[in-house]
Amino acid sequence: MLVDCDIHVGYHSLRDLLPYLDSATAELVLESGTNGLGMPSYPWYHPAGWLRTDTYDRDAAAEGAQLVGQTLDRVRDSVLDPFDVTVGILTPDEAAAFAVLPNPLLAAALCRGYNDWLLTQWLEHEPRLRGLLVVTPQHPEAAADEIRRLGEREEIAGVFLPGAARIPYGNPVHDPIWRACDDLGLPVAIHTHFEGVGIAGPVTGAGMPDFYTEYHALTGAGMFGHFTSILCHGIFERFPRTRVMFMEGGLVPFVGLLWRLDTAWRGCRTEVPHCVRPPSEYVRDHVAWTTQPLEEPPEDRMLAPAIEGLEPQRTLCFSSDYPHWDFDDPRQTLKRLPAEWRDAVAHGNAARFFGLETAVPA
Amino acid sequence: MSRPEARIPLADLPTPGQIRMIEVGDHRIGLIRVGDEVHALADRCPHRGAPLCSAGRTVHGIELGDEVPVRGAERALLRCPWHKWDFDIASGRCLVHPTLRARRYRVTVEHEDVVVRLEHPR
Repeated sequence: MLVDCDIHVGYHSLRDLLPYLDSATAELVLESGTNGLGMPSYPWYHPAGWLRTDTYDRDAAAEGAQLVGQTLDRVRDSVLDPFDVTVGILTPDEAAAFAVLPNPLLAAALCRGYNDWLLTQWLEHEPRLRGLLVVTPQHPEAAADEIRRLGEREEIAGVFLPGAARIPYGNPVHDPIWRACDDLGLPVAIHTHFEGVGIAGPVTGAGMPDFYTEYHALTGAGMFGHFTSILCHGIFERFPRTRVMFMEGGLVPFVGLLWRLDTAWRGCRTEVPHCVRPPSEYVRDHVAWTTQPLEEPPEDRMLAPAIEGLEPQRTLCFSSDYPHWDFDDPRQTLKRLPAEWRDAVAHGNAARFFGLETAVPA
Repeated sequence: MSRPEARIPLADLPTPGQIRMIEVGDHRIGLIRVGDEVHALADRCPHRGAPLCSAGRTVHGIELGDEVPVRGAERALLRCPWHKWDFDIASGRCLVHPTLRARRYRVTVEHEDVVVRLEHPR
């Protein structure tokens, strides 16, 4: 059994969403700019390609297209069938950029259209798939409305937020999102995406990296900010049913960060009296991480001790990141982890986190 | 018993930069021409098992020459479709990892055929 927590799908063009958009948003998609509405994207390019070259037809990709859309058949043939995936969690590709658009009303409309497209084009056709809702952190009330509109659908596993953000996600401005998730018992997945793009803050406090190589190594940076923000704002005290998964931001750096946060909490506890327990205790009960891209130390034996501090037997969940270039094959990933972790990482932890116990029995 | 082999007429060889897939026994192998030489590499990346030849691409690559980045003169590198690691087609050597090598097979020219055998190149 396998749960793949991170399979990216996307439309070929924003125009694919037209049947799911209100008329005013459809007009903007068609008439904006010189060739219709475009999304903000990274200022860097991967020098050898964003995607696995065996996941799309190179000749069929639209000229200039960066994130090539996927088809359900391709996902079945390339991921679900060969790896015997019991449940695959679909994550967005370009649609993650809706969260960094400056226009919150347009962003909310696009989110509604995308979520309906996801349900209609993907989730209703393949029972092995579940989806994450894209929502607008720049418009928390609209995000909460969207979570309540679709969050009880069986095909919806949770809510997606990108690492890129204007304000860290623990800040009370985002309370409507956490309240809606808590009410519905839906988890939140925070996935590295579009840091430094649109209205999001810079990738690091040092400013913008010059190279994509730097960005890729720094993808956890935005997520570190959300991690500390969520813990220090006591999100798990105030919204006790909430769970958060950190996707694709690395594992090893989180170990030291959590230790430092525990130490800081001990000395600064009076500043955050709403955090009645040390951060690591909340993490144990509410936080999960995904594996990809699993760090590659010089020797594989160095990996397990380096991430043990995250209690991987309870918190670590497999992810492939299909179809991106840094995809991890589950056979390779699981082989690199201690045998006693493998079942939990392959399916047990994700089944519990996403509430998939019926589809993925222990 | 002789080991399996594949015979490919010289006229059917891939053009430089192209990859032609063949099977020898149960081995999937990519035939790649660099200049006048033909090389045979296993369709498996030694890093994480990707289909190196059947989904990979040949590329020129960029190397530092006399302190200036220079594009390689010919498509002498094979780029893995997954993680984009580059391999020197002639030697199988991985350019970004000191010990990894793509598996290579023996290629000879016999009469009007190229023959690929499940043996190490000499």
